[in-house]
Amino acid sequence: MTITATPPTAISVQPRPTPSRRVRAIPTLTMRRLTLSVRNPRSIAVPVLTPLLFALVIAPALANTIATPAGRDTYMTYVALATAGLLIPLNCMFSGLGVIVDRQQGAMRELLVAPIRRSSIVVGNLVAALAITALQLVVLIAASALRGASYVTSLHLLWFLAAALLFAILMYGMAEILATRLPSPEEYIGVLPVIAIVPFFFAGTLFPITSLPHWLAAMAKVLPLTHALALFRYGLTGHSGVQALHNIWGMSNVTVMASLSLLVLALFTIVIFTGAVRLFAKAGTS
Amino acid sequence: MRTGSPAVEAENLVKTYAGDIHAVKGINFAVEAGEAFGLLGPNGAGKTTTIGMLNSTVSPTSGRALLGGRDVARDPLGTRAISSVVFQDAVVDRPLTGRQNLELHLRLWGVRPAEGRTRLAELTKTVGIADLIDRPVDTYSGGERRRMEIVRALLSDPEVVFLDEPTVGLDTRIRHDLFDVIATLRDRTGVTIIMTTHYLDEAERLCDRIAVVDAGTIVACDSPSNFLASIGIEVLEVRADDTHRVVEVLRSHGIAPPDILVIGGTVTASLRTTDGAHVLHLLAEESIHVRSATTRSPSLDDVYLRLTGDRITVSPN
Repeated sequence: MTITATPPTAISVQPRPTPSRRVRAIPTLTMRRLTLSVRNPRSIAVPVLTPLLFALVIAPALANTIATPAGRDTYMTYVALATAGLLIPLNCMFSGLGVIVDRQQGAMRELLVAPIRRSSIVVGNLVAALAITALQLVVLIAASALRGASYVTSLHLLWFLAAALLFAILMYGMAEILATRLPSPEEYIGVLPVIAIVPFFFAGTLFPITSLPHWLAAMAKVLPLTHALALFRYGLTGHSGVQALHNIWGMSNVTVMASLSLLVLALFTIVIFTGAVRLFAKAGTS
Repeated sequence: MRTGSPAVEAENLVKTYAGDIHAVKGINFAVEAGEAFGLLGPNGAGKTTTIGMLNSTVSPTSGRALLGGRDVARDPLGTRAISSVVFQDAVVDRPLTGRQNLELHLRLWGVRPAEGRTRLAELTKTVGIADLIDRPVDTYSGGERRRMEIVRALLSDPEVVFLDEPTVGLDTRIRHDLFDVIATLRDRTGVTIIMTTHYLDEAERLCDRIAVVDAGTIVACDSPSNFLASIGIEVLEVRADDTHRVVEVLRSHGIAPPDILVIGGTVTASLRTTDGAHVLHLLAEESIHVRSATTRSPSLDDVYLRLTGDRITVSPN
C-alpha cells in the first residue's frame, strides 16, 4: 500500500547558481585539494626531493658511467628530461589516491550534493595536481641546469610547455578513471606502476627507441609518453628532440613531426580526460 | 519564486538496481515548507535510497522527485542549491579544521563572504562548537563532528535539509543533545526537514509527520500523535505458555482485534475499551497461567508492529 500525503504550501526558491558561480567552484576545489595535500613542510619537501635527487645525483651519475667525457652534459640533459617523463605520471597518479580517500573518508559525498558541476570536482583536483607537477618540473630543470645540463631557451619552450600540460592532464585523467573504478587504495597502488612506471622503460627515456627490438619500438611509438618526451627534448634541447621525433615519424620536417606528436598527445588527452569526467559524473549518481 | 509548490514531493519514485533489486517500489509523499517529515523503517527499507533520489545522488528508475517544484533529475544544480544533506556517516575533511570545512561549504554554495561569516559565527555559537572550529576535525568527538555537520548543512540557509540517520552510532546522551540542537535550529530557521531514522523516539520527538517505510513502500503516513492514538489507550504484554488460548480469550471478549501480535511466548495487545487489569482478570477466570504481564503507554514501535508485523530497532536508551 502506498500512502500519499499532500499538505502543500508555497516556498520560495533561491536563484539557480550562475555560470560564474559554477566556475568559481574550481579555485575553491583546487585550494581544498592543495590544503589537503600540502599541510606541512614535509608534504612540500617530499615532492621536491625526487626531482632534486634525479637532477643532482642520478643524472650526473648515469652520465659519468655511460657517456664519454665530451658527451657527459648532453647525456645528463637527456636523463634529466627523461625524469620529467617519470615525475609527471607518478605525481598525477598519486594525486588520484586523494579521490579514493575523499570517497572513503573525506568530503566526497558533500561535494556531490553541492550546487556545482561534477566536472568541476575533477578539474579542481586536476589543477592542484598540475600545480605540484609544475613545481617538480621547475625544480628538476633548474637543479639539472645548475649541475651542468644545457637547455635551449627560445620559443621552442612552448612545445615543452604544451606537451607537459597535455601529458599531465592525460595522466591525471588516467588517475581519475582508476580512482573511480577501483574501490580501495591498495588496489590502486597495485595498478599504479603499470601505468606510471612501465612505459618509462620503453618510451625513449634513457635510450632512443631505435635501440629497442623492432616490435617493441613499434609499440613505443603508440605510447603517449614517447611523444611527450620527444616534445620535451625538442622544446628544451632542440637537437636530441629532433632525433627523437625522427625516430617516431621518420620525416624530415621537424615542425610537422612535432605537430603530429602534439596532436597524438592531444587526442589521447581529450579521450582519456573526457572519459574520466564522464565516468566520475556517472559514478556520482547511482 | 515559485508559489504553490510543496517543499518536497516524491511522485511514484521507483529505484531498481542491477540484479533486479527493488530498493524503492513506488513512494509518494509531499512535504510542506517548514515541516519535519520522517521516513521511519528498518535497515534496507529504502529510506536512504529515497533521500538519494531527492538529493540527486541516486537517479530514479521511474517517477519524479521535486524540490520547491523543480524536478531534481532535470535541474540537479538548482535543487542542490536549495538543499543540504547531513549524511549517515561523517562526511568531512578530517585533516582540515572545522572552520575550513564550513568555509568550503559556504563557497561551494555561493554564500557571500560577509553573510557567510555572520551565519557561521551564529550557528556555531548556537550549537556550542564555536570554541573548537579552529581545531582539526580529526580531534573532534563523534558528537562534536555531528554538530559541525549540522551547522554545515544550515550555513547556506537551505529550504530543505535531509538528515539521513543523523544520530546513528552516537551514544544516548549525545543523541539527546542533538535532538535539542536540531529542534532549536529548526525553530530558528524554519527549514524543511526530511529525516530518515530507525529510532522511534527520534521520529516521535522531531517529526510533524512520519511515513513508515517497509520493503520499499510507504505503508502508512501520519502524525506521531495520530499514530499513537490509533493504537489505543494502553498496550498489554502477556507472557504465557499457551499464547493461542490468550488470543482466543481476548478475541472472544472483543478485546483489541485486530491488534493482537504473538511473538514467541508474548502476546501484545492494544487496548481501546478496557484496561490491563480487566484482561488479566478474564485470563484468570479461564485458568490461563500467565507468567508475567505488563502494561505500558503505546509507542511507535506498536504502530510499526501493527503495520508491518515486524519489530524495528529499538532506541539504545
